[in-house]
Amino acid sequence: MKQIATNIRKNILHIANLAGSPHVGSALSCTDILATLYFEILNLEEYENRDYFILSKAHSAMALYATLYEKGLLSKEEMEGYYQNGGTLPAHTDRLTNPYIEISAGSLGHGLPISLGVAHALKLKSSDRQVYVLMGDGESQEGSVWEAAMLAPHLKLDNLTVFIDRNNLQGYGRADEILSYEPIDKKFEAFNWKVLRVDGHDSQAIKEAVEVQSDKPKMIICDTTKGKGVSFMEDELIWHYFVVTDEIKKKAFAELEEVSSEK
Amino acid sequence: MRNSVANEIKKIAKIDETLFVIAGDAGLGVWDDFKDSKQFINPGVNEQLDIGFGAGLSLMGHKVIYYNIAPFVIMRPYEFVRNDVCYQELPMILIGTGSGITYAPAGVTHYVVEDITLASTMPNLDIFSPADPVEAVECFKYAYKSQRPSYIRIAKNGEEKIHKDELDITKPIFIHQSNSKHILILHGSIADEVSKILEIVEINVVSVPMLTSDFNWDVFLNDFDKVFTLEEHFINGGFGTMLRDKVDKKIYKFGLKNEYIHKIGNRDYLRKYYEIDGKSIGRKIKGMI
Repeated sequence: MKQIATNIRKNILHIANLAGSPHVGSALSCTDILATLYFEILNLEEYENRDYFILSKAHSAMALYATLYEKGLLSKEEMEGYYQNGGTLPAHTDRLTNPYIEISAGSLGHGLPISLGVAHALKLKSSDRQVYVLMGDGESQEGSVWEAAMLAPHLKLDNLTVFIDRNNLQGYGRADEILSYEPIDKKFEAFNWKVLRVDGHDSQAIKEAVEVQSDKPKMIICDTTKGKGVSFMEDELIWHYFVVTDEIKKKAFAELEEVSSEK
Repeated sequence: MRNSVANEIKKIAKIDETLFVIAGDAGLGVWDDFKDSKQFINPGVNEQLDIGFGAGLSLMGHKVIYYNIAPFVIMRPYEFVRNDVCYQELPMILIGTGSGITYAPAGVTHYVVEDITLASTMPNLDIFSPADPVEAVECFKYAYKSQRPSYIRIAKNGEEKIHKDELDITKPIFIHQSNSKHILILHGSIADEVSKILEIVEINVVSVPMLTSDFNWDVFLNDFDKVFTLEEHFINGGFGTMLRDKVDKKIYKFGLKNEYIHKIGNRDYLRKYYEIDGKSIGRKIKGMI
C-alpha cells in the first residue's frame, strides 16, 4: 500500500509539474486516504453496481486523477491532459470527463448534500453499496455541510461514510486561527453521527475505521499533514498555491524514491 | 395552477417509481395525500441541501422535482442550481410558486421579480411561466419528458382556465385573434389582465409559457407591426429582454420597474401602482398604435 501511495504522489507531482498548477499540498494531504479507498475498500468490479466515491474537496482533484490512473481507470494521456490547453481534465472535477468521476465539484460544501441524495437513492432500491465522501477541514465552515449533517442521520444513512482531511491548513492559514471548526468530533456526534478519528496517513487505521459497524452515518476524521511525503512541502501553506518546477519535482521524486527504497 | 401541477405529479408518480418530490417545507395542503410516500421528502428549511440532495438522486436516475416558494428555488440556492443541476446536466424540475408579486404584500423577500434574469444565465435551463392551469400541466409534462433541467414558475391556486384543450407550449398560444396589425405577448399569470386590456384596445394576444424553445420568432413576428410584451417581472432582464435579444424587431416591453418594492398592498394594488394592470396597459398600447 505504501508503494501505491508513493506512486500516486509521484503522479501528482508529475502532472502538477506538467501543468504548473496549484493545490499540490492539498492533493498530497489526502493521498493515503484515496489509496486506501481505491485499493482496499471500494468495490468497483461491476460499474452499474459499484460503491461511490465523491470528492467534495475537489481542489484535490489531482489526487483523484493520479489514483484513478494508478488503478487503471484513467489512461496516461488522460492524466497528463490535466490542466492543459485543449486537455482532458480540469483543476476541479467535471463528471462528464470520466465515468469514475462521480460529480462535478470545486465549490466547497456541495459534495455532502449530493452524497446524501446518492446514498438515499441506494437505500430506496435496497442496495448494499456504499457511499464515501472526502471533505476538507476548512470546508466544514460551509453552512450546507451542516444542513446535510442534520439530514443524514434523520434518513438513517448508514451507507454513508465521510472522511475529513484534517490538515489544519486552509487557504489563508490555520483553521483554528481563522474560524475554528473544533471540536469537530463532538459537533458531528451531537448531530447523531458515528465519529472516529485516525491517522490519515495510516492505511490500516483508515481501513479498520471503515470496517467499524454502525447504524448511523459515519464520520472519520483523518489527522493529516498538508504536503505529506515531501519534507519541504509538509505543513507549509505555500504549497496550497506554489507550482512544481522541474527542480522541485526532481528533489521531491528523489525523496519519495529514497523513502520507498528504504522499505 | 399549483394543485393542477401537483395532481399531475401524483398521477405520474403512481406509474413511475423513479419520480421523486422534494418539498422545501412548503406545500401544506398540496402534498398531504402524498407526504408519506417513499417518493416524497420534506428535508426542512435548507435550500442548498435540497438542491444538492436532489442532484444526488438525479445522478442515480431519479426524475426529481424540487417544489418550494419561488424565491427559495432559484435565488437562495442559485449556485447549487448552477453547479449541481445545470453544470452536471441533470434533468431536475424546479417548481417555484408565488411567481412575480403573487404573494404581495408579503414583502420583497417573498417576491420573485428577477428570477427569469437569474435563470436565464444558466444556458441549458428551460424556463416556463404558464398563464393558466392547462398551460401549467402542459409545461410540467414537457419538463417531465425532457432530458434538460427545467424551471417552472407558477402563481398560486385557483386561476381560471383560459384554454380548454391540451396545447403546444413551445409556440405562442393565441388567447385573442383580431385584424389588428399589432400583437401583445404575455408571459405568465398576468394573462388574467387580458379582458381589461381588450376592453380598451383591439390587438392580437398570445401567451408564451416557454421562452427557451427553438421557436422561430423572426418569422412569426414578421406578420405584425408593433410587438408588445407584458410580464409580472422586472422590465429589464425578464421575458421581454430575452425576446428582444432573440429577434431583430423592436420590442416594446411592459413590466415592473426595476426597484425594490416598499409600497404595501396586494397583487392587484401593486399591478395598478406599477401600471401593469389591464386598464393601464390598454391605455398605453392604445396611445402607441
